[in-house]
Amino acid sequence: MRARITDKANVLTLVDLLREEYEVIAPFYGRGRDTCFDAVTDANRHLVQVHIPNPYYPPKRYVLPHIQRLLRIHLNDHPRIQPSDDTPRRAIFGIRSCDTAGIDHLDRFYLGRDFKDAYYERYRQNLFLVNVVCTDPDLDIDDDCFCMCADTGPAARDHFDLQLMDLGDEFFVVAGTEKGEAFFAHPMFRKGTPAHLARRRQILADVRKRFKVATSWYSSTVRYITGGQISDATWEQIGNRCLECGGCSYMCPTCTCFTVTERQVGPADYERVRLWDACALGGFTRMAGGFNPRKAAHDRRNRRFFRKLAHYFIQRELSVACVGCGRCVEVCHGDIGMPNVVEILRRTTAESERHEPAAH
Amino acid sequence: MSQPPTENVYLPKIAVMDRVVEEIADVRTFYWHFEDPAEQAAFRRFLPGQFAQVSVFGAGEFPASLPPSPTEEELFFTVRRVGSVTAALHQLRPGDKFGVRGPYGNGFPMNRYFGQNLLFVAGGIGLIPLRSCLNYALDNRDRYGKIQLFYGARGLKDLMYLGALREWEMSRGFECYLTVDRADDQWTGHVGVVGSLFRKPGVTVPVENTTAFVCGPPIMFRFVIRDLKEMGFEDRNIMSTLERYMKCGVGKCGHCCIGVAYVCADGPVFTYEQIKRLGEVI
Amino acid sequence: MPHTLTTCTFCGVGCGIYLESAGNALTGAYPSMTHPTNQGRICVRGWHVNEVASAPDRLLHPLVRKNGTLQEVSWDEAFGYVADRLRQIQGRSGPNAIGFVNSPRGSNEESYLLQKFARAIIGTNNVDHGLGVYRHNSIDVLLAMLGVPASTNSVGELDVSEAIIVNGVDLGLQLPTIGGRVMRAKLKGAKLIVIDPRRHRLAEHADCFLQVRPGSDAALYGAMAKVILDRGLLDARFLRAHCRNVEAFLEAVHAYDVLWAADACGIASELIEEAAVAYGRARTAAILFSTGVEAGGSEAVQALVNLALLTGNVGKAGAGIFALTEHNNLQGVCDMGMLPNRFPGYTPVTDDEGRRGFEVLWGAPLPAKPGQGAEELLSRMGKGAVRALWLCRHDPVMAASADATAVLHQLDLVIVQHPFLTETAKHAHVVLPVAAFGEEQVTFTNTERRIQLVGKAVDPPPGLTPAWRQIVDLANRLGAGWDYTSTAEVMREIGRAVPAYGAASYDNLARDYGRQWPCTTDKPLGTRFMFEEGIAGQPFSLAPIPRPSRPPCASLDYPFTLSFGHSLYYWHQNVLVRHSETLKREYQILLLDYPDGFVDVNTEDARRLEIRDGAKVRLVGVTGAAVTTARVTHEVKSEMIFVPFFLREVREQLCGEGASSSRSSRAPVCVRLERV
Repeated sequence: MRARITDKANVLTLVDLLREEYEVIAPFYGRGRDTCFDAVTDANRHLVQVHIPNPYYPPKRYVLPHIQRLLRIHLNDHPRIQPSDDTPRRAIFGIRSCDTAGIDHLDRFYLGRDFKDAYYERYRQNLFLVNVVCTDPDLDIDDDCFCMCADTGPAARDHFDLQLMDLGDEFFVVAGTEKGEAFFAHPMFRKGTPAHLARRRQILADVRKRFKVATSWYSSTVRYITGGQISDATWEQIGNRCLECGGCSYMCPTCTCFTVTERQVGPADYERVRLWDACALGGFTRMAGGFNPRKAAHDRRNRRFFRKLAHYFIQRELSVACVGCGRCVEVCHGDIGMPNVVEILRRTTAESERHEPAAH
Repeated sequence: MSQPPTENVYLPKIAVMDRVVEEIADVRTFYWHFEDPAEQAAFRRFLPGQFAQVSVFGAGEFPASLPPSPTEEELFFTVRRVGSVTAALHQLRPGDKFGVRGPYGNGFPMNRYFGQNLLFVAGGIGLIPLRSCLNYALDNRDRYGKIQLFYGARGLKDLMYLGALREWEMSRGFECYLTVDRADDQWTGHVGVVGSLFRKPGVTVPVENTTAFVCGPPIMFRFVIRDLKEMGFEDRNIMSTLERYMKCGVGKCGHCCIGVAYVCADGPVFTYEQIKRLGEVI
Repeated sequence: MPHTLTTCTFCGVGCGIYLESAGNALTGAYPSMTHPTNQGRICVRGWHVNEVASAPDRLLHPLVRKNGTLQEVSWDEAFGYVADRLRQIQGRSGPNAIGFVNSPRGSNEESYLLQKFARAIIGTNNVDHGLGVYRHNSIDVLLAMLGVPASTNSVGELDVSEAIIVNGVDLGLQLPTIGGRVMRAKLKGAKLIVIDPRRHRLAEHADCFLQVRPGSDAALYGAMAKVILDRGLLDARFLRAHCRNVEAFLEAVHAYDVLWAADACGIASELIEEAAVAYGRARTAAILFSTGVEAGGSEAVQALVNLALLTGNVGKAGAGIFALTEHNNLQGVCDMGMLPNRFPGYTPVTDDEGRRGFEVLWGAPLPAKPGQGAEELLSRMGKGAVRALWLCRHDPVMAASADATAVLHQLDLVIVQHPFLTETAKHAHVVLPVAAFGEEQVTFTNTERRIQLVGKAVDPPPGLTPAWRQIVDLANRLGAGWDYTSTAEVMREIGRAVPAYGAASYDNLARDYGRQWPCTTDKPLGTRFMFEEGIAGQPFSLAPIPRPSRPPCASLDYPFTLSFGHSLYYWHQNVLVRHSETLKREYQILLLDYPDGFVDVNTEDARRLEIRDGAKVRLVGVTGAAVTTARVTHEVKSEMIFVPFFLREVREQLCGEGASSSRSSRAPVCVRLERV
């Protein structure tokens, strides 16, 4: 990949350049430490900053909206079906490496497998990603972040159009795609030197030490889950801590499930919409007629972590369905986000009496 | 380099209702055709065991198995009224328009069983999806060995396609054994769970070179599997078609996933061997 | 895509959330990470709380009944109709012929204005908010014993509670954010004591789970007090310094026999002792309760307040009493005086001096006699019944009352304010559609006294106005001369009417995540927990509770005790639930699985009586019998049957009830269980 350098003072010029072609989305402060992605306008342009806590509401909604109209149906003797064809052209300025990996995971899911999702594709093809490497220990990195364990950060290795990394007075800018590289024609960018590369390497080495957990503890849990070795009692213990709010799925950058509903919007007009759904909820698998294969909350917890960690899925998508963003840790009432659950699964299985030798 | 836009798999095609036939209580068969002959022709290439997503505009969409064999003339669904969308379907009359997209799913690889005996075991409305392979086999009678159907329901009033079964038994060369859980005055046949038919005097079920097809409620499924295993069937020679709550039918929404498999895209047809390795109890 | 910081309007937690909007549509909702109560977490209802505003079946025009059917009219005609009819009825039958009932989801501003309308313009105290148990049994008791008509402490303090009692509320289902707090406190080492006839999710985490016989909570608390007294775990200094009635109370406690109580409650005496010691030994201990306790009568609430006073658990962080409000503004509507016997700020209407103060503030003579409450207004027919009802967001036909439809048909005037054409609205003479959540800026007061702003993120559909605005316009049609131009102005007046809201201006509320009352000019930042500056004198009053003489009703003929649930399964009727695809799916499961209703039967009992899940059963009591469906579950104790409140046949046949579920107390009912 090609790279360039630009002065820190100039880096936000990129926002203005992007605004010529796209609706630019950037993170902004709400109340206190709350931040959110929002459209850059003339009114808020001066508030755009590079280092800012990662917005809680995940950017996956720019490729998979929370509520999305699929079809409009006009009902009469000759029903007319009109698929939605909105194609917003957006650039996200300041998507973190974890969330960038999340978008990549969604790409593999929605654009791969048996069918391509045309709605997802339209949104994705018109989305430009400017990844920002997390280097500020106070603003960028949170106690709950574990991108190091998920191997998605702090600097994404791919799947962005441009990547910005703060070197101090300058920014190291990497182009991940041709679309990104096209921006290098602008005079704000100049070629870098081996010294810049060395500085980048140094900063990354320092930043990595700032994360609470640096090693991946997934692997044994992946083996236990894939091998079906987790006891029912363990799942029940975890299930008792679940208040079935759905937050973990709604917030997760790699969760993909949705439900579809039809609603009337005019005397003879209906729309079919899809909206985010969560396997945490009891009704997710309930069939008309009453049979519900995952009635108990612990069966649904089992399902979530199987989908995230079973080897089959990792192999099929060549991507782990967890990017280490930490949102499930923040949002969970029972403190059963990914890190705690992986720890519980690993510990209870490894220390299970089943694995003990006999006394003689 | 411009590529053709990706086909929108969520777009239903317009279908027209031809006629509606009452089957058992709350169950109707809907005969239909696509408005567009090209869609009709493309759809006709479906495999036994596949399903389609049926839209009742304004109410919603649901998955319906395809009971006709691809060798039959007409397209139809047999649907029980059990929720709001199926209730809306039951309100439709000949001439009404609705939506269909598909066919989806993996279907039964019927040519893999050429030369084999076929054993069909069904419970209640579980006969609906198996009807497709049964009829396909009967339409290709000389390619298969012995064909048997063991079919049970709660009562006489719950047996599906009874008229057709009796007619086929007489004219098309297959053995049909029926049973009910509870008999009424009009029933003179066998009484008991469907597995009890296997042990009926005079009944011989070949196991060697035989594939079994099982479809029915979860409890029936468990007992029949046990019976088949006792008779000597291997896991990979027992086929089933599974059912789950579905929304998209194309492997994206996540509702129908069982363990590692999407029932809509990896199934709905699975061998018992695959079912055991899905990673989740069905 | 503006993001508006606001407060969720489902339950009494009042979680901080952001509403996302695009154009004039609400497109999403997600939690605020920095809000002190929920800290980044919300429940499944909060995730969908934006879906009411965009519901396609919103009413867009006012309706007036003409020739038997409701027809769309102009706003001018609708308001003219209401004003004329109110004047007529008031003139012909007097002010007390008109009643005003709102919902505990009504905002502070609309509640304040509605009761002011009723009292200052019409001249009646027939004012209520549609639920009885909170005000009867919690507010009155808390006022009498503590002088505080609300929870004493803050949810955030549960982090430092050493012991937590959770009684009569399924936190995981009803107030999940608080449930999460309690769960996490327990995981960090707090002792969790759960007292409930049902084994709910949080009970699985309890250090002590006391699965009591329904209605026996007072006896249980009495026994716990006895253990605390005997073991010397009481706070004698606190009692001496700050409580009245100490001697009489201690005498009553002394008379309690723990073994007798164990029998009455159906709990082993060792377990009672264990719970009492855990609570008594903790340096900070909190008691959380809700309608599950309140419905049994005021004695149980008195008994738990006694326990807190006995151990000095009032006036310090991590301690206190939480009278949990399940509806988002139940606390607020009471603070605002939607009560037939109290003005805003809880001044009794019979208090001459207090009433005169309001007469001065409102510039009108005010009625001195307490009015009829919602229960009476919605069930009384014939003599003493009203002729007109103004129902603001209240939907009694759906909510509970068996007689509501009949009563409504009797009335000369039914005014309904609601965003949708509810079952009640269908019987109205005039329906005024109102703005929905996210379309108006108002305030709600959560269960920890936190007055919070709810933001305006989008405009209401053209023509629709907020409910508060309509009340003002109608008041002015009747010559009131009210000149409020914004809810901020209404809040300014509320600050003068209710001392605890004295400094709760919108500016002040916006500076932080609202303010917890008392929020006064000398305490503009609000009050985290009551008596945080210290306790002056003896403001607290203990309530000596004699040992109940009522024997348990269970006998060989009628071995099962009925336990009535209050709010657990009614959400399928709730406006938000009905308009959100996901919530509809989740909350209708029980109804779909058991379309004719159900009662919960213990697994062992069901096995013994050969009753399968989903089978029809007959409950036979002394007064009658009812047939329903059994839901077999381990959540209820053996020899107990849980009845969701909406099973009218059960209530009518077995309890001899004809009225709504908001009864202040209910005697235990015992039945026989038979297969059908």
